[in-house]
Amino acid sequence: MTRAIPPSIPILDSDIQDFADMSAALTGFQSSVLKPALDPVGLAREYYIFAVTQVGGTAMTTLLNAYRAIKAQTARQIADTLLETSGSSPSPQAQLAQSIVAMWYLGAWYVPGVLGGGGFAPPPLQVISSAAYTNGLVWRVMQSHPMGYSPFTFGYWSQVPAPLSSFGVNTGNGGGQ
Amino acid sequence: MRRLIIIIAAALLVTVRPQTPPPIVLNSMIPGDVNVTATTVSIDTFQPDFDNYSWNTFIALNWPPGSDGNGDPSKKIGQNGDNDTVWEHYRDVSNIFLPGGAKPTWNGPVQIPDVCKSLNKGNLEVVTQIGKNLLTPTVVSAMSQPFNTGPLIDQNGVFTRFQIVVNKTMFDYILANSLYSKAGQKVFTPPVNFTSGSIDNNGKTLVEGAIMVKAAWKVIAPADKARFHSEDVLVYSPASANPKYPARCTLKTVGLVGMHIGHKTQSAPQWLWSTFEHVDNVPTDADVKSGKLKAKYNYYDPKCKTCPVNQIPPRPWDPTKISAFHSQIVRMNQFNLPIYANSAAARNATAQQLLRGVNPKSVWANYQLISTMWPTDPKQPFGAPAPTFLANTTLETYIQGMVPNVSSNCIECHNNATITVPVPSDFTYVLQRAQ
Repeated sequence: MTRAIPPSIPILDSDIQDFADMSAALTGFQSSVLKPALDPVGLAREYYIFAVTQVGGTAMTTLLNAYRAIKAQTARQIADTLLETSGSSPSPQAQLAQSIVAMWYLGAWYVPGVLGGGGFAPPPLQVISSAAYTNGLVWRVMQSHPMGYSPFTFGYWSQVPAPLSSFGVNTGNGGGQ
Repeated sequence: MRRLIIIIAAALLVTVRPQTPPPIVLNSMIPGDVNVTATTVSIDTFQPDFDNYSWNTFIALNWPPGSDGNGDPSKKIGQNGDNDTVWEHYRDVSNIFLPGGAKPTWNGPVQIPDVCKSLNKGNLEVVTQIGKNLLTPTVVSAMSQPFNTGPLIDQNGVFTRFQIVVNKTMFDYILANSLYSKAGQKVFTPPVNFTSGSIDNNGKTLVEGAIMVKAAWKVIAPADKARFHSEDVLVYSPASANPKYPARCTLKTVGLVGMHIGHKTQSAPQWLWSTFEHVDNVPTDADVKSGKLKAKYNYYDPKCKTCPVNQIPPRPWDPTKISAFHSQIVRMNQFNLPIYANSAAARNATAQQLLRGVNPKSVWANYQLISTMWPTDPKQPFGAPAPTFLANTTLETYIQGMVPNVSSNCIECHNNATITVPVPSDFTYVLQRAQ
């Protein structure tokens, strides 16, 4: 479901497109999968608004501007830069990028920089919506589907899964894997 | 930019047409496929084309038929208020999947339950009075909704009945592949692949694909006939052990309250799904909250402030009796984007005006499109349907909403359909009726 947009936050289509393009580099997926031209679900918009309501417009704009400055680079270079993979102590901006990756993969929001213990997510983990759950990228990477919801045709379990590329994974120059 | 649009549209198996035909027309020709005239690619621009397709299909299916069963171009829909329709000459599934797996025929005799036979033979006056049913009486029996979620009971305490018919294209495929019997299905070589409809570059139908129609009927009083498409039918209730009641058959006048249309087309291997309802069926949730209510609905009592909304009737469910429980149904929000309701509302206004132009008392102007579900990515098994949920309050009363795998989604649900052996059935459940 599309969330109500806080009146104080301007929502520009160009920002959502940049958010989707940046997310594609961070997640290793194709932007056209995260935000297709015919988009009945609207996850990019939902996630953008959700993240902005969590961290504020300034933090998101700063991250997007960092992306815009390097958007001509390869997806892997963009991901490595924004996630600061070469360092051991990610900045708040990189922690926001990490939360965005988790949001796309797991359909849930992890507070940037808050670490859990024992491999479990820290509270307050928040599943964003039912659409976010069923459309989590983790299921695509697994070439599988979430519990209780399968987009495949009857009998798929007797067949070899389709290649990763058919699930929208960017199998070319990679991303933030 | 236009080249990009064409490439994207071609990838979607949807052809952007060079000409822009009138969006909704009073025509007897069933559209072979959607005619996409949008020049930009988005849900907002595509949905109106699909809703135009739905209305044109509704008009053509409800057109007065000629002697061959197809729409008669010399006549007009609703010219006399109400009329016989093309789809009511399609084959009812009860006459396709016959006892013992017998081979069906397109124009053969219909199955009349024993308890109904006295109402249908040896009494020419009665038969004459039921007019177009003289030779092919309509028997409606089903009162259960998908997944047996429960019956729908109108404000008079009478159970709503359902009927499924298929067109000749679909019937011929079933016949040619012996899918009408369990024995035939057992030796069938998959996949099931019904004929797809298609159109030419001008939007003219080349092939009429497989079409299924599911109708919901309510018993109406003679005074209500002016507001409904009506039919005199044999209302049949098979005998039941629990609750215990004997088979019963009555001759009743029923009014059309809901209509699903599924059509397999070239652009939509997951089929196009159009759903219509009578305008008096139910209020929307917003109507209830704002207090903007009509004086009367088919499935909602505006005077009852304590009636539980969208509740499954308490058991036992006995369709042979007048129920003390009356369904109090409200249309819940099911759309995540405003375009779906907005597009349907705009097209409803246009179509209803056209229909009233033929005859101000046309019963067909009392029907409304709820929406059209179509695959935005036909290459995927699900097709990424838009809208993501779609329910008809007479046919999916209790599974309205926006919960994946629970709320009504035509493509998602029918994607699970199989024949009587574990083989996908190409988005139709009717083949499971084979005996």
